[in-house]
Amino acid sequence: MTRVKPDQFLLLLLRLGGFCCFAGWTWVHFYWEAPYGILLWQDATFKLAERFGIGWGEFVGSGNNDGLVQVWLTRVGWLYLICSILTLTVRKKSWIQMAGLIGGSCLFVVLSYAKYLSAQSQLPMFIEHGGQMLIPVILVFALAKGVRHRATIITAMVAVVMIFAGHGAYALGYHWPTPANFLGMTSIILHIESETARIILRIAGVLDLLVCIGLFIRPIRQASVLYAAVWGFLTAIARPVAGMSLGLNYWGADQYLHEAVLRAPHFILPLYLFFLWRKSEAPDTLELPTAIQDKKAAPQTCGS
Amino acid sequence: MKLARIVTFCCAALLIAGGALAQEKEKKPKKKGKGRAVLEIPEVEKKDIICFALYTISDNVLKLTAQLYPIAGGDTKIVRLEIEKGGKWVEVAKTEVIELGWTAPFRVEKWDDTKTQKYRVLHGAEATYEGSIRKNPIDKDEIVVAGFTGNSIHPAHGGDISRQDLIDNVKKVDADVLFFSGDQVYDHHRHFAAWLKFGRDFGEIIKDRPTICLPDDHDAGQPNLWGESGKISTLGGAADGGYSQPGSYVQEVERAQTSHLPDSPDTRTIGQGIGIWYTNLNWGNIDFAILEDRKFKTGPAGRVPKQGPRPDHIRNPDYDPASVDVEGAILLGSHQLKFIDQWAEDWRHADMKVALSATIFCGGAHIHGSANGRLHADMDSNGWPQTGRNNALRSLRRGYAFHFAGDQHLATIFHQGVDEYRDAIWSFCVPSIANLYLRWWEPLEAGPNREEGAPEYTGDHLDGFANKVTNYAAANPEKKPAGGDVLNTRSAGFGIVRFNTKTREIRMECWPRNVDVTDPEAKQYPGWPRTISQFDNYNPPSWGKLGELTFDIENPVVQLIDADSNEILYTVRANGKTFTPGAPKGKAFIVKAGKDVPDTVVSEEAKVGGDAQSVKLP
Repeated sequence: MTRVKPDQFLLLLLRLGGFCCFAGWTWVHFYWEAPYGILLWQDATFKLAERFGIGWGEFVGSGNNDGLVQVWLTRVGWLYLICSILTLTVRKKSWIQMAGLIGGSCLFVVLSYAKYLSAQSQLPMFIEHGGQMLIPVILVFALAKGVRHRATIITAMVAVVMIFAGHGAYALGYHWPTPANFLGMTSIILHIESETARIILRIAGVLDLLVCIGLFIRPIRQASVLYAAVWGFLTAIARPVAGMSLGLNYWGADQYLHEAVLRAPHFILPLYLFFLWRKSEAPDTLELPTAIQDKKAAPQTCGS
Repeated sequence: MKLARIVTFCCAALLIAGGALAQEKEKKPKKKGKGRAVLEIPEVEKKDIICFALYTISDNVLKLTAQLYPIAGGDTKIVRLEIEKGGKWVEVAKTEVIELGWTAPFRVEKWDDTKTQKYRVLHGAEATYEGSIRKNPIDKDEIVVAGFTGNSIHPAHGGDISRQDLIDNVKKVDADVLFFSGDQVYDHHRHFAAWLKFGRDFGEIIKDRPTICLPDDHDAGQPNLWGESGKISTLGGAADGGYSQPGSYVQEVERAQTSHLPDSPDTRTIGQGIGIWYTNLNWGNIDFAILEDRKFKTGPAGRVPKQGPRPDHIRNPDYDPASVDVEGAILLGSHQLKFIDQWAEDWRHADMKVALSATIFCGGAHIHGSANGRLHADMDSNGWPQTGRNNALRSLRRGYAFHFAGDQHLATIFHQGVDEYRDAIWSFCVPSIANLYLRWWEPLEAGPNREEGAPEYTGDHLDGFANKVTNYAAANPEKKPAGGDVLNTRSAGFGIVRFNTKTREIRMECWPRNVDVTDPEAKQYPGWPRTISQFDNYNPPSWGKLGELTFDIENPVVQLIDADSNEILYTVRANGKTFTPGAPKGKAFIVKAGKDVPDTVVSEEAKVGGDAQSVKLP
């Protein structure tokens, strides 16, 4: 059995989460359509383009050819691809690669902002992307300062809170309406009526918000993040499970699989915290996959 | 240098986009902090609890749906309908309000449609809502139908601008029928609140004339709709087919918008308990087929090869159109096609036939959303699936139906073709009330066979699915709209169609917003008005003429049947005592005729170029 140091395992988790998130969005950029339209198709944006000497035709194209908008939207996909690779290649002192990942985090902020605007400025839409926006930063902190460093852990906790606060707010459906696909996926997977699905989602919404609180209460934080990891995983795979079908081209994998992959931070970040906080029996090494162990509190750590 | 300039621009654009939306919030009084149009259910006094009422009459059955604001817990749920008889109000029906959507649907049989009658809807002791139920205008030569689509309420598209111009114009032309083709509501979560607003905006004209509403995708709470017989959709954009919102939500929408339509001959329910409402309305001797072109349609995602950045969009101009016409893809569905076939043959109380649907049977735009958003084809249109589109057109042309629709956000006139150009029906797609999403008809090549002096975008074209279409007009918006006129630079407006049952002429008018249609100086969008004959709806260029038939009665119904296959080619009511049937060359036809039903064989071997014939009908 391969014996892996716990910190390496935790780092591996963060790399995996970051890679999946960037890779999923790379697929969206190259294969589908990234959600930047709302940022670009504004009268104010056109006026701004003109101020920079970029003409209308150059900006939006002639109709027969792509304009700058299309060209650069496609090129953004290459940045996501590069970031996907960086999550695997970045090392402790690779400062340029780390800077690249921080840039990747900024890309996620822009993307999440675009989705937020598309969702008629519903706050949960932006907040629930917290895990995706922050996982590159967490990976960089983990490399630069250590997987148990206060900054790494706090950032990961903030990310988990954002994910589940956003999910919870939507699932509750009080101030912001529950997205119809939440109900649809629940109905299809569990073979239940939409009203039953709504009740289940409301319960899940309450639990999501409890996770956000439980994370900060030492006796229940492990249980909270374990629940978050399981629920985060289930909600991530709900899209392919509900949507894929043998009757579709490629079984619908090209439509749905990336939706689960890019949501990897939703279960990997809670998992990272779970293993981080799990009581250690063997301080230096652990066996994968069954005996993953944690070190005792190390210098410069918090929360363990 | 150029790179730096572009990167700087992109950063600034991000800030500006957010800022622009924020500014928009501040400028518009009808918006609150989140930049969305205020859509609230107002608190109303008990006397005003009835918001509006819609009705139709068909086959002497009145169906009227009163739309109420929410009723307080302790108040009665019973709503009454009274009509005025001899100066007194007489109750003709009462019903219990359906709380999910607060609708009160009435049904009154043996309705006397030979006279206009005042009605009032009552709730409790205080609330009344009055209107008039028109007499069936069978004595009028011209039936006027006003058509609308796309009722955006967002200020950015002029949705916050008063609809008073539309109200005034409908009153001025005294429309006999109102047709709202879809997207009466754009809010994807609060149909009830938005529907009440629709009622407050249009109730003044709706209450006094038959009104047809077709709930489309946005009404059902999703950006596009391929209903797939009630499947649940989970994919963003809903291209996987089905309904995004729960079945109970869709049922509420359909109850509000369609429960006043004549009974559907199809009494099934589809997935999630959603009902079916396609039907026909016979009014003023015009037989309207009210079609559901979304409910049964197959979703394209995963069914057709990917050809663009969205499952429903085809960007690749070199793709093979036949590759997306996949086996099993449905448009109207077999039951609805059978209904159209039966409707096309039935000419009782009908001089002309009109098909109403959400959208048109072709890809009616090339550029979508923004000035360079060139799409080769859009599967949201009824141009796809092609086999389903051709089947629908074959059925509709059998009744010489004129097609009136909306949805596209771009007004157009097309003469559809199936096997050859211009061998099927004409369609008029009306412009949006306020245009949420811009589209342009802008083919890359000039169309052949266009009229002299007509724009190059007119004429014969293949749409993105290789369907044959002939364009006669397109009210393209400006390339960079907005400025001071956020409605008409975005080609907002409405349509009027005048059906003359005496001359059998159909006049299409396409008006911008905020004009007086009775003002001789008022201008329509370029390409309008256009007048066609009813008989242009099935007059393929390759056809010849059979011998002229002279009947002993006025306006008989004539039917042509292929002598070999026994397939009905068409059924139509002749205009006057003579009729010269058109028909394909080189084939033999059985000709039947009758006063209202073609039950007398006139000829069993009629051919193009045959002799004239006098016919006596029993």
